Amino acid sequence: MEEPELVDIFNEIKQILGELLDVDEAEITPETYLVRDLCAESIDFLELAVSLNSRFAVEINDDDLFLRNLRRYIRNMPDTQDRISALTGRFPFLSAKRMDEILSDLDAGPILKVKDLIAYIEWQTRVKKAA
Amino acid sequence: MSMRFTGSTCLITGGTSDMAMALAPKMILSGLFPVLTFRSESGQKKLASRLRDFEEKYAMVHLDLDHVHSIHQAFETLNHDLDYLVDFAQDNLEGLVAATDSQRVQSFFEASLSNRAILIKAAARAMLTKKKGRMVYVSSTAAGRQSRGQGFYAAVKNGAESLYHAVGIELAGKGITTVCLRPGYVDAGRAKSFIEKHGQRVLDQIPMGRVLSCEEIADVILFLLTDSAVGINATSIIMDGGMSALK
Repeated sequence: MEEPELVDIFNEIKQILGELLDVDEAEITPETYLVRDLCAESIDFLELAVSLNSRFAVEINDDDLFLRNLRRYIRNMPDTQDRISALTGRFPFLSAKRMDEILSDLDAGPILKVKDLIAYIEWQTRVKKAA
Repeated sequence: MSMRFTGSTCLITGGTSDMAMALAPKMILSGLFPVLTFRSESGQKKLASRLRDFEEKYAMVHLDLDHVHSIHQAFETLNHDLDYLVDFAQDNLEGLVAATDSQRVQSFFEASLSNRAILIKAAARAMLTKKKGRMVYVSSTAAGRQSRGQGFYAAVKNGAESLYHAVGIELAGKGITTVCLRPGYVDAGRAKSFIEKHGQRVLDQIPMGRVLSCEEIADVILFLLTDSAVGINATSIIMDGGMSALK
């Protein structure tokens, strides 16, 4: 992660997660899983959404941010559809590369990583600026 | 006993009701800053007139549960800065369940339950940023005992109570607590005209032999907002002069 904006977002998110989940910030990387590694629960996600909204002043859709409907969306996709482009259309803040990674990681458990939060905030910031 | 409050700003929905207007001056005198909601220009004028002695010690904001965007706008106006919520907002839909127009039923539930859930969500999230908050929902004894024709009203009161209880269960650990108050007959609003119509028959149902005043209800709500009362969480309290206990 080289872009300064993304580094700033990451640092802020790291700080929020550190406080919220009482974990050492040094242990948090963009590749950290929120549930699998940090054991985040539903109440933590609520607080996280509120903190991100307050810290970055961007609109937060909890379901999108936490990829809550991703599995259902994938399940309901027709077999004929180009899955990656359909998914990046539905979740525009995630890259095709990340979607590919997610698809191969679904069976291992909850897929949300810190880098997905960074991507969402960066994307919402851009949307806000454009508006 | 001292009435201690750790917060200041209190959103009062249904701000033009008699009970809300009885509560606002008491809050101001206790050092709180009430923000009362109105739905129409006439309501706004009524508020300004009733609270003319307290200029700059309160605010007014448009909020109408019939229009969900007004909820979001109100919270924008508040800058999502909120310590307390006292929810009086309630329309009425009277009619037999088997006879009432379906469209009216749908609109009533949408405003009173779906949109109230949006209101509660916005308040809870605003309070979460401060890690403290207190919500008081003004329900009704109709939630427990209803008259004929009160089915929809009672359903909404029960549903809304459940939402507030849920917040008290889910977020008490984060400093946000809730309580519902069920007043019985009060000398205000719909009950007032009912009492005027039915007189002694109503009073015979109340062991205290009289209806309650808005001032009495407001005093209890103010107490429920104090730091001392936060242990009363995720529950409903009946304040009806003993009416519900009488066979």
